[in-house]
Amino acid sequence: MALPRLLFVTGKGGTGKSTVAAALAHALSLERPTVLADLDPRLSAAAMLLGAPLTGDAPARAGANLEVVALTARAELEAFMRRIVPVAAISRRMLRSRTFGYVTAALPGLEAFLLLERLRIMAGDAALENRYVVVDAPASGSALELLAVARGVKGIAPIGSLNRIAHSVESFLVDSARFGVILTVTPEELAIREALELAGALRTHLGIATVAAIMNRTPAPMFTRADLEAIAGLGAHASLARRREHERAAARRARTQFARAGVPMIELAMLYRPAMGRAEIDELAAAIAAEMPAR
Amino acid sequence: MNQLDLGGCKLAICLGPGGVGKTTISAALAIDAASAGRAVDVMTVDPAPRLLDALGLGSDASEPREVDLREVPGAKRGRLRALRLDPRATFDAIVRRHAASPAAAEAIIAGRIYRNIASAFAGVADYMAMEKLLELDAEPATDFIVLDTPPAAEALDFLEAPRRLLELLGSRAVTLLGPRTGRFGGSMVDIAARAVLSAFDRVTGLKLLGDVQAFVRNFDGMYEGFAERAKRAGAMLHADTAAVIVVTTAEAGRIAQAREFIAALGRAELRVRAVIVNRAMANLPETAEISQAKVPAALKRKLRRNLEDHAALKTREALSFDTLRATMPAGAALMLAPDLGHEPRTLSDLAQIATQIHRA
Repeated sequence: MALPRLLFVTGKGGTGKSTVAAALAHALSLERPTVLADLDPRLSAAAMLLGAPLTGDAPARAGANLEVVALTARAELEAFMRRIVPVAAISRRMLRSRTFGYVTAALPGLEAFLLLERLRIMAGDAALENRYVVVDAPASGSALELLAVARGVKGIAPIGSLNRIAHSVESFLVDSARFGVILTVTPEELAIREALELAGALRTHLGIATVAAIMNRTPAPMFTRADLEAIAGLGAHASLARRREHERAAARRARTQFARAGVPMIELAMLYRPAMGRAEIDELAAAIAAEMPAR
Repeated sequence: MNQLDLGGCKLAICLGPGGVGKTTISAALAIDAASAGRAVDVMTVDPAPRLLDALGLGSDASEPREVDLREVPGAKRGRLRALRLDPRATFDAIVRRHAASPAAAEAIIAGRIYRNIASAFAGVADYMAMEKLLELDAEPATDFIVLDTPPAAEALDFLEAPRRLLELLGSRAVTLLGPRTGRFGGSMVDIAARAVLSAFDRVTGLKLLGDVQAFVRNFDGMYEGFAERAKRAGAMLHADTAAVIVVTTAEAGRIAQAREFIAALGRAELRVRAVIVNRAMANLPETAEISQAKVPAALKRKLRRNLEDHAALKTREALSFDTLRATMPAGAALMLAPDLGHEPRTLSDLAQIATQIHRA
């Protein structure tokens, strides 16, 4: 199975989405030029982890084959408006803010929709130039909303340019050669359940394939069952040990659950380090590169 | 009673990045105040299913419901009511209340633009939270309100989104799209906006111009009432009896967001009472306990290694706290809410979180 050109990284808040997106982009860049697109450029968390903070609209270089770009819905809408409305003579700024007020209020999904159109174009370019695109996308709830927006636009615009774009965005999202979702998850029941539900919702409602689930922060095995029994009386030490093995077990169960859902799972080790920096990202990238489904 | 004393407050509002447990903290603070004997209302936004169960809220609890406090240990006879914000239902109710006639209300509610705005425009949830706040405040029996806020990318969304919504509904728009009379006349901007919308319609295949026009015309006359209420809600948040609380977790990305929230609140002249770091790690046990334990040496080595691993994480967390401390506003307390080790499932879980909130 080949990887899609564009990998859309999402997951429940707090599962390390930006960390995984940064590590995944770095892993892919070892093989081919890769672009990491940050959909929350205000924080540019993934860019920071790669030591290439974003400033303004300019792309930042994070490695020989790795570039980070910021994508904002607002910028896409501005570009779209510029394309359709020639307003040179009039005070552009005032006009812009107020007209945008109407357009975004009347069509709240429009900005998000144009962002998807941008991803479609990026994936097309990546295919021509044999590159990968990794997207540090919003957390699961908003991601589902974002990916569903094309359908809504088709509903309100039965004809015209938006309708045409909606069709091409929809066929982009269901094309496993161009688009795929990577789900980040941590070894906790709730995060696992949410990830499984999201994979199901993406498949059944939108026909979107999940390429892999990345189980982040999986503790390495340490205590056997006999160990845990022997230290049962040790209070806080025992509960630290139990928690570690509990997470370990949750990750193991999740592998079966994801397999049943047709989603391969990649495990990333919990890094017990006082800080997360470039070295840690490189380490996680190596683990991803070793486990990534065959390309 | 925890170390964050909100006894003198009539309102607490929890703001913060998504996914940090704002709803959990809101509910915990509400239970804490209720078990201290106060009459409390808590408005939640988008609670996790388990939290809904814990509060006894069904799917349609857009009106306050009494929470059974019997399972909360040591509860005095306070009162707790909880509700879940339903922006759409609240908006419909307001339109019905303020519209010139029932027919006008139904015309607004059935319109395409309204349906879009009411279900998806980000400002609506925030505006409706403020509306509910005023409704709850009007209740004389309530002496403390805890407000959870909709997920937002930026702190001021909650305060500014209502203004954006109001701007859209503003009477200026009537002159813009309707007949050219009134305060603002037909300025260049008005004419240009009309040109932009009609070009937009032509290219996109939508009929926005007509729809926006109808929407704005229907709202004519309701604007002042809306604006007045938003202003009153804003004043409540700025009052001395309101506690603005920023909720975050110790994760680096969340801390960066929380710092932006704090800075933005400062610019809006809102005084932050406390920053609560949710799911903070518990204190680690002593190494000495391992040496004294009666277990094989190999197992002691494992226990030491496990402790060292967690100590590294604890260091990472402490660095996060330092980053936060550097941006703490004057007079705000840095508080920690402990990690239970599992998702809060019951009222006692929430009460436990509340009693354990302590100064960092």
